Amino acid sequence: MDIIVCVKRVPQTAEAEVKVDSSGKDIIRDRLTFDMNESDTYALEEAILLKEKFGGAITVISLGSVEAEDTLRIAMAKGADNAIRIKAEDFGELDGYKTAQLLGSVIKDIKHDIILTGCLATDDYYAQVGVALAELIGIPHATLVTKIDIVDSKAHAYRELEGGLLEHLEINLPALLTIQTGINEPRYASLIAIRRAAKKEIKTVGKADIAGGEIMQHSTLEELFTPPVGKRAEILTGSMDEIATKLTDIIKGKGLL
Amino acid sequence: MSGLITLNPEIRDAIVESGGEDVIKCYQCGRCMAACPWNFLEALNYTTYRFCQRIRLGAIIESEEKEAIAVDTIDVFRCVGCDSCKHECPRGVSLSDVLRAVRRILVEYDSYPSELKSVVSRLYNTGNPLGEPSESRADWATDLKVEQFDAATHEYVYFPCCVPAYDQRARKVAQATAKILKKAGVQFGILGKEEFCCGEAVRRVGAEKVFQTAVKHNTEVFAKAGMSKVITTSPHCYTTFKNEYPEYYNNIDALHATQLFAQFMSQKKIAPKKPFHKTVVYHDPCTLGRQMGVFEEPRDVLKSIPELKLIEVPVFNREYSICCGGGAMGLWRDWPQDERLANLRTEQILETGAEIIAVACPYCLQMFEETLKTMNVDIPVMDVAEILYESLAE
Repeated sequence: MDIIVCVKRVPQTAEAEVKVDSSGKDIIRDRLTFDMNESDTYALEEAILLKEKFGGAITVISLGSVEAEDTLRIAMAKGADNAIRIKAEDFGELDGYKTAQLLGSVIKDIKHDIILTGCLATDDYYAQVGVALAELIGIPHATLVTKIDIVDSKAHAYRELEGGLLEHLEINLPALLTIQTGINEPRYASLIAIRRAAKKEIKTVGKADIAGGEIMQHSTLEELFTPPVGKRAEILTGSMDEIATKLTDIIKGKGLL
Repeated sequence: MSGLITLNPEIRDAIVESGGEDVIKCYQCGRCMAACPWNFLEALNYTTYRFCQRIRLGAIIESEEKEAIAVDTIDVFRCVGCDSCKHECPRGVSLSDVLRAVRRILVEYDSYPSELKSVVSRLYNTGNPLGEPSESRADWATDLKVEQFDAATHEYVYFPCCVPAYDQRARKVAQATAKILKKAGVQFGILGKEEFCCGEAVRRVGAEKVFQTAVKHNTEVFAKAGMSKVITTSPHCYTTFKNEYPEYYNNIDALHATQLFAQFMSQKKIAPKKPFHKTVVYHDPCTLGRQMGVFEEPRDVLKSIPELKLIEVPVFNREYSICCGGGAMGLWRDWPQDERLANLRTEQILETGAEIIAVACPYCLQMFEETLKTMNVDIPVMDVAEILYESLAE
């Protein structure tokens, strides 16, 4: 089973102080650590588990700057066989659709039975790329997948719905599945695999290599900003004891205690 | 490990190159394993003595199996850098440095526990492992009239370390220290929001690039401020400034606060008068005691306090002290209850029957306080500075 996994290198912003740069369209990247997008790590692990069960090869693809090659090497150290970087520096501003087109233009030439992506990237939260990519290359897809079985050359994808329901889909292969976090437990890399990954070639694809029609962009980023503090937000100040007392008073005042 | 071992000289070479050259010295006598505190826990069988030989063979984290890789990786990141093993080793092997070399390779490939990644990320982003804004780094000193360091008028910089700068409980240690310094007539200032974590914990965990960022930031601030003498509350800052920073900045002389307090006593700059009617047990922090040889000064300070009865943990005191589990970012690890060094050490301490646990490290303070809460035991943990200040109060 040949598998393609799309991964993205993203800043770790969950606990970070994030500031907008002078352009008003990007964040200041100094002093942010970068890592593989969280749900992509689960997609990669799912690919490795499928490869362990059914054999085949895993190709990881990232549309990103040269630093994304570190992320691709990490993927190879965990179990991917081949890596391709699409040179983001050649393509200017990206939206979800443009990203999907660029990934699709490379993926169409690679043999695959299944494509896995994370369900969304934690930097822009679009959650568009997987779905758009599946439509562009004309294969079925399922989103937010929490379990995969392969039976008789068909994928059985399970999706968690609101209200505690689980949806079970049978999907013809090749298919694209966007993977939800928690589907598995991503692995650590072995030292020997790290050494191997350090020497592996990463193929790069630039503007000159992308053949075919025009790459379209449907949305442009107008502005990035920290939202003003809402009128209903109240920041409690003082010592721990004072804050605790104020908080208790508020909760009591609302009749919750 | 059983069955045939595949030799991987490449793994060995990479680890040696990354700073693990001590592996060559080990002759597997096993004394390290007897000294390693993890092996005092019944739940674990931490084969400390095997690390060096496995590395020499390149037979560490070499498996292709997910579970085996995970077990080895967790073991490599378990070491708290207490150096009990080094103290016992007849060949002077620094196993914590050897494991740090392995960690450096793994961290480079983001292959390390997620709770550690979060701390490294927060520290790189904000300059402290708690992820607090640098603007509030000096808030602990707001009411104390502590000045920003000025080389023209101040002799010392007081460097409180991240935990005492931000943590509500540990702030009291920084405040007590500053008040004692004032009582002793020391001319000192702080670096305030310019201060950045010393980087000791990130270095131990293998995040060398982040450590270098911390060094670059701090040494630039030190040079600009024209400072050379630093007083630290944390033994971790103390050892880092004393042993690691001189490679990057040669004009730095660090003292742990307890050393300075002991000097004040002998110079009669301060004299504790108020009786402290308590039995106090002193826990030697690994970094201050075993690693830096500061055993007597904290004890001298405590002994000079009227009516304070100082007792020891039998056997496991001074160089044989057992780690609280907070080193190498252990403070942020979430081990099961039966795998916590803090529980083991707290039980040893409680057996002494002491009324107060005295510490000289903010990590030990937090580890013991949290552990006592889980044990439902109401015994105060106090820093030596806090006890001293109480006895100096008018």
